[in-house]
Amino acid sequence: MLGELGTASLTVGLLCAVLTALLWLRVALFSAPIRPARLATAATFAAAAVACGVLEAALLRHDFSVRFVAENGGRQVPLYYTVTSLWSALDGSLLLWLLVLGGYAVLLAGRRYPLRLHAYAMTVLSAVAMFFFALSCFAANPFRTVDPVPADGPGPNPLLQQHPAMGVHPPLLYAGYIGLVVPFAFALAAPLAGRQGRAWLRMARPWTLPAWAALSAGIGLGAWWSYAVLGWGGYWAWDPVENASLLPWLTATAFLHTALGRGAGRAGWNRVLACASFVLVLLGTFLTRSGAVASVHAFTDSPLGPVLFGFVLLAVVASTVLTGRRTAEPARRTGSPVLSRNTVVLVNGVLLVTLAAVVLIGTVFPLLSGPLAGVRTSVGPGYYQRTAVPLAIVLLLAMGVTPALRAGGWTRAVRRLAVPGGVALATVAVVGLLSRPGLPALTAFGTAAFVLAGLVGELPDRLRRAGRGQRVGRLAGTLAHCGIALVAVGVAGSSAYGRETERTVRTGETLRVGDATIRLVGVDRTTGAGQMSARARLRLSESGRAERTVTPALRYHPARDTAVTVPAIDTGLLRDTYVTLIAVSPDSGSATLRLAVNPLVGLLWAGGALTSVAGLGAAIGTARPRRRSGATPGGTRPATVAARARVGR
Amino acid sequence: MRWRPAAAALALAALLAAAGVGLTRSAAGTGRDDPVRSVAADLRCPACQGESVADSRSPIAAAMRQAVSDQLAQGRSRAEVRRWFVERYGPEVLVEPPARGVGLLLWAVPALTLLGAGYAARRTLRPRSGPDGGPTAPTSPRRAARAMPGARARRAWRCSALGLIAVVVSVAVATRSLDRPGPTPTPADPVAVALGLARDLEAQDRYAAAAQMYREALRDRSDDTIRLRLAFALLRAGDAAGAAQAATEALARVPDSPDGLLVLGLAQRRTRPVEAPRTLRRFLTVAPEHPAVPEIERLLAARP
Amino acid sequence: MTRLAGRRPRRIPVGPALVLTATVAIAVVVALGLRSPPASDVDTTDRSAPVPAPALSGATLDGGRFDLADARGYVLLINVFASWCGPCRDELPLLVDAGQRWSPRGLRLVGLNVRDGTEAVRALLDETGATGLTVLPDPDGTRAVDWGVRGVPETFVVDRNGRIVDRQRGVVTRQWLQQRVAPLLAE
Repeated sequence: MLGELGTASLTVGLLCAVLTALLWLRVALFSAPIRPARLATAATFAAAAVACGVLEAALLRHDFSVRFVAENGGRQVPLYYTVTSLWSALDGSLLLWLLVLGGYAVLLAGRRYPLRLHAYAMTVLSAVAMFFFALSCFAANPFRTVDPVPADGPGPNPLLQQHPAMGVHPPLLYAGYIGLVVPFAFALAAPLAGRQGRAWLRMARPWTLPAWAALSAGIGLGAWWSYAVLGWGGYWAWDPVENASLLPWLTATAFLHTALGRGAGRAGWNRVLACASFVLVLLGTFLTRSGAVASVHAFTDSPLGPVLFGFVLLAVVASTVLTGRRTAEPARRTGSPVLSRNTVVLVNGVLLVTLAAVVLIGTVFPLLSGPLAGVRTSVGPGYYQRTAVPLAIVLLLAMGVTPALRAGGWTRAVRRLAVPGGVALATVAVVGLLSRPGLPALTAFGTAAFVLAGLVGELPDRLRRAGRGQRVGRLAGTLAHCGIALVAVGVAGSSAYGRETERTVRTGETLRVGDATIRLVGVDRTTGAGQMSARARLRLSESGRAERTVTPALRYHPARDTAVTVPAIDTGLLRDTYVTLIAVSPDSGSATLRLAVNPLVGLLWAGGALTSVAGLGAAIGTARPRRRSGATPGGTRPATVAARARVGR
Repeated sequence: MRWRPAAAALALAALLAAAGVGLTRSAAGTGRDDPVRSVAADLRCPACQGESVADSRSPIAAAMRQAVSDQLAQGRSRAEVRRWFVERYGPEVLVEPPARGVGLLLWAVPALTLLGAGYAARRTLRPRSGPDGGPTAPTSPRRAARAMPGARARRAWRCSALGLIAVVVSVAVATRSLDRPGPTPTPADPVAVALGLARDLEAQDRYAAAAQMYREALRDRSDDTIRLRLAFALLRAGDAAGAAQAATEALARVPDSPDGLLVLGLAQRRTRPVEAPRTLRRFLTVAPEHPAVPEIERLLAARP
Repeated sequence: MTRLAGRRPRRIPVGPALVLTATVAIAVVVALGLRSPPASDVDTTDRSAPVPAPALSGATLDGGRFDLADARGYVLLINVFASWCGPCRDELPLLVDAGQRWSPRGLRLVGLNVRDGTEAVRALLDETGATGLTVLPDPDGTRAVDWGVRGVPETFVVDRNGRIVDRQRGVVTRQWLQQRVAPLLAE
């Protein structure tokens, strides 16, 4: 029953999506009434919502006649993870994707923008929705009926049942990914809409900010999940799935910056970056959802590869053909001064684009080396450490130079940078003399100190000089930059000062790293709830802290033949103590344990959270529609730092 | 107030010197330079996906770490250890693809991007004149700025609508064809494989090996055709007794099988020459059209 | 993307043309890669030219001695296994059966037991009826690494001249044994 209802809703959704695209196209071409198009958009969204609801209901009612439930549901799965198993495999996550896409479409459709620009953008959006509906209908329909109906299912992948972040990480990531479709749609619509198209940036940027914030949060939560569940002690492995989420983030970040101040004189950059961001989202979907590259996070392996790849190509060709045309830009008799926001924004853009190129080629390298050299070789973290890390440090340095831009002239710029520069040198000197973190980490510490000192120092002045509506935006910008600097400190610190050891110990023996010692008290084994688990009881003692018991576990899920190591993480103020149970002897008399001390990891999460919240704050603070009469397309206001694009009414 | 710049310069120099010392100290080594780890970090774990031997939890990676440690303890250099692994696991054991051939792409693509983006940034920063000197120069978008004339709009509408529907149809068609090979290929039939292999061996005149294959196939599927093929192979391999036995087994079920009679008769020429002519004559009466008939007639005529 | 400033309005834009060309080129390469599955993933067997087998000798599990050099003239099937590996358990009976069946024709089956406990292996051998198997313990796995083992199970075929002529990564099948091992025995 539920299966048929779901299939029906998908079919209706596909038809509605086609209809929506056609109706918006009629609006764009013939200035047809906008109301039917809006209704069709809402109907598409409703179909996606029904499909999601039906699948969720089937999961909750353990209706194993529905294929997706038979493959990913299970009677012993806790309620929370039953709900989240909607996005634990490709077919279900495609529904979530459709729901988010439909939501964006409804929100965008409800706005009042210049008609033709709006209609063309909605056509692009609907075409994307149509494609994914078609994919869901024909290739990945989760509602197909299973015969005979199994009595129970294996449950979602055990790795996805370990951490509460599973409930928010994928939806946030999707909100980020799909949000980038809006700037893409506007960038494609702009050349079609002619004169109206010149205002596209003002409409696109407020949509990019929340998407970017969600994407940042999604990436951060993904790293957190990886740290807390995979048990290898790290949070970022330059894995294809992680890279796929980083790629659009890099270009979207560049886009947010080039679009500042209405993107004065940077029309080409804005177009390319807006298109690239969404194309990279699609490419990432292709890379990770098709099994084209192997990954530790890829929970799905499907034959969708060629279709998705075809769509990526279509998007590249469409965006190149549509936005590749030269457009008129106002003449500028004088070049930008070397010390200007324009320069820094462009340097930032160049670096971010290069960084994206590094990550991209590293990720797709196995796909290229296979046919070209006959051997599929993937690229390890060493490559990124040699390429991406120096680029990131230079990027950070560029971020630190920003405060110097406000004042005119070199002398004042140097004076403004004197204090941050001094702080940076002092940091390098102190850290370098007290410890040996290695060259990249030490440089990163210095640069981060430079950035933080500069940002904090200029904040009061910046806020004082901001206009009434600009305060939130400026504060958010500063906080986002601070967050990035904190992330840099966290990454550098945890990789430079992390210590670990791994050994098999018998009951009563100890394992020691730095001043942290663990003693194996015993091993408990339990069976039940669809899993067998072994738990090591350990006493952890550190200097200056009370002795505590920690219990890392090793869980084996027979239904999926998967073993999961559940690390015990003892979070301190400045460092985490991270214990993993790797193996247990058959007589439970000894256990192989890995003890690691990861300093400054907390800064990483704090920085990530700060950046995301700041992004969201900027989105809320600046996207508030303000009634202004005669919003002039193209914008004549002088470009100022925090002049965020506003939604014209 | 001349002391202030002097003090500032002094402080700057002191800071620079201290920072320089800190940097050189750090550049000299991180103080926890573990040679085993650094070699292991350069090796790819062959049982994992994209993890290095240093990071992987897999037992093979642990064994490889042990091997690295043993080799270093024996006094081999890091390069020698690396070469030792390349000899055993091939060049793909090295995490970093060598910077030649396809590996060059890893460096060329970022370099070209940097150059390209840098050039674009320079162009953006340079003073420029508008295309025709004016701020709102008419170019192609201007054409589209006016509402399209009716005919053009209708044409665009038709093309776009067709294009959209084509996308849906192509997704449907593409995924339909994808479904067919399916994730569960039918398992290869071991008997068929053994038979094919045996035929190949026969073509190479390796009859004994072929006979062995036929025996394996018979073990899985008792089939008289296979048994007769086995008999032929045994006959050619020189095992006349075995051939006769196989043929007799086949004939026990189908007494008038021409091939059975033929191979039995030929085998009997060596094992029981007295009975051979009778069997072969029966073959001639049962299958007068058989391609082997002339040859058998010649044999019978030669040794009556 | 960069666009060269064209004086004439009808000039083909260089940037988009470059992007499209590059896209087509990459698409062709990737399509090729998608059509033919990755070599390293699918090609679990390796039929490259025979190489001399690395040395392998030492005390066996039941207290005897084994030396590869003494086994010249036999076809050797060296199965790298461990009790903690499920597929190894599954394939062991098949291997033991083949070893017994073909032993008159000169096959010897040797187990290389990687990173395992003595008790666990004995239990496994009892369970699978493989008590007579020659097992060489390799507690730290370095012998397996010397042989270039990529994971367990893995099985090597060493011919009568002491050369590795074949290897199977992952589980062996009856079909594989017939195709790869049986012809060697017939020689």
